[in-house]
Amino acid sequence: MAGFLVLFFTLFLSTAIFVTICFLTGLLGYVETRPQVTVYFQNKTTQDDIFKVRDELSASGKYAKKPAYLPEIAEYLKKQPGVDEVNFQKDIVERLLTLTSIVRLTSLVFFVFLLLMSIVVLTTAILYKIALKKDEIELLRLLGATSFYIKKPFLFEGILFGLIASLMSFGIIAGAIYSLRPFLFSYLRGINYLSLPIANYQLQLWPLSPVFLGVTFVLSALFGITIAILATLLATAKYLK
Amino acid sequence: MIAFENVTKRFPLGNVALESVSFTVNDNDFVFLVGPSGAGKTTILRLIMHEYLPSSGNVTINDQVISSKSFRKIHELRRQIGVIFQDFKILPEKNVYENISLSLKVNKTPSSQIQQEVLKALSLVGLSKKERVFPSQLSAGELQRVAIARAIVGNRDIILADEPTGNLDPKTAWEIMKIFKKLEGRKTIIIATHNTDIVNSLQKRVILMKDGRLIKDMKKGGYEL
Repeated sequence: MAGFLVLFFTLFLSTAIFVTICFLTGLLGYVETRPQVTVYFQNKTTQDDIFKVRDELSASGKYAKKPAYLPEIAEYLKKQPGVDEVNFQKDIVERLLTLTSIVRLTSLVFFVFLLLMSIVVLTTAILYKIALKKDEIELLRLLGATSFYIKKPFLFEGILFGLIASLMSFGIIAGAIYSLRPFLFSYLRGINYLSLPIANYQLQLWPLSPVFLGVTFVLSALFGITIAILATLLATAKYLK
Repeated sequence: MIAFENVTKRFPLGNVALESVSFTVNDNDFVFLVGPSGAGKTTILRLIMHEYLPSSGNVTINDQVISSKSFRKIHELRRQIGVIFQDFKILPEKNVYENISLSLKVNKTPSSQIQQEVLKALSLVGLSKKERVFPSQLSAGELQRVAIARAIVGNRDIILADEPTGNLDPKTAWEIMKIFKKLEGRKTIIIATHNTDIVNSLQKRVILMKDGRLIKDMKKGGYEL
């Protein structure tokens, strides 16, 4: 039971972190693909002067394709006659970039800690079960059972635990996302589409897509099963040596 | 055929369990291993089972040297051998049927055949209709019969029995020996025992051990020390 709870806790937090990182990355991508510089001109500036600045900027070849180009463009515009103020998304992009980096780094540390903790607890729980079945295992070996035959029931149980834990954690997280939809709609107002580029494919994040939820569940289940298999192999290898 | 060739077994603390023991047991032979406690009888059975490796010498089964460290087909070897342990090794949480079927499951016997074989073995050991009974409801003699049934299912050619009558009263001990007699000529049977009555009465081949040495190998012997 303790092993299962730790596995569930690990999967729940890992899935929550995965969803958060996906959304933050998608949001960052959204902002990055829409770089914008706003120029305020003085009242005395004529329309011809404004067009002149625009034409010169176009002729210079400086386009706001990426947020990284924005400071240069802003500096250029500030130096132009008649320009009162120049604003761009520097702060938003920088904050998003910082936030995503912090979340990624914290998640990585947290993830490794959770992974190690769940493997240690699961391995201990399986070792305890093996100790309870010591006589049966000894008898099976004397009857000619292979190592895999002895490991099989522990592996199956681990895989089943991994699947159930991932299903439960995914269910809670999916339920939470659905119940938070009104809040997300207002928070992401004006953003009609968020996606995550994976190779040549754009995985739709927002509006919530079944494909994204499916990928989240499959990754969570695979992660859970991998932890369970690793812990079982470690425990049985230690005992059957 | 089982062959011991100058087999010596020394344990890490230095005590010698077997000293240059050589003998052969042909297919379908019936052999008693006799001798006092510490004579090396159980060590011989454990060497055949590949539970131990000899310190020197060779153990060969069906022309295959099983005593080398490089021998890897341990589970295949053990599937040829049915063992009856002195402490029975019957799992208390499993019923008679489940205990016996373990021996077939590790042999990958199809499930359709398992029931047939278990019931046949139970009939042979005189425990028909007891397949759903749990070990706690059985007497020592009945537990020994379950252990024999488990050892003979699954086409195991060699039967090793370590003191199979050690915990039994004389009447039950004879009943157990009758089961072994039924198997005579069909399987190679090696019985390690202290039971002088049985050994003297049955007049089978006797290998006499003492202090780890083979003292006598008699074709139709009795228990003499």
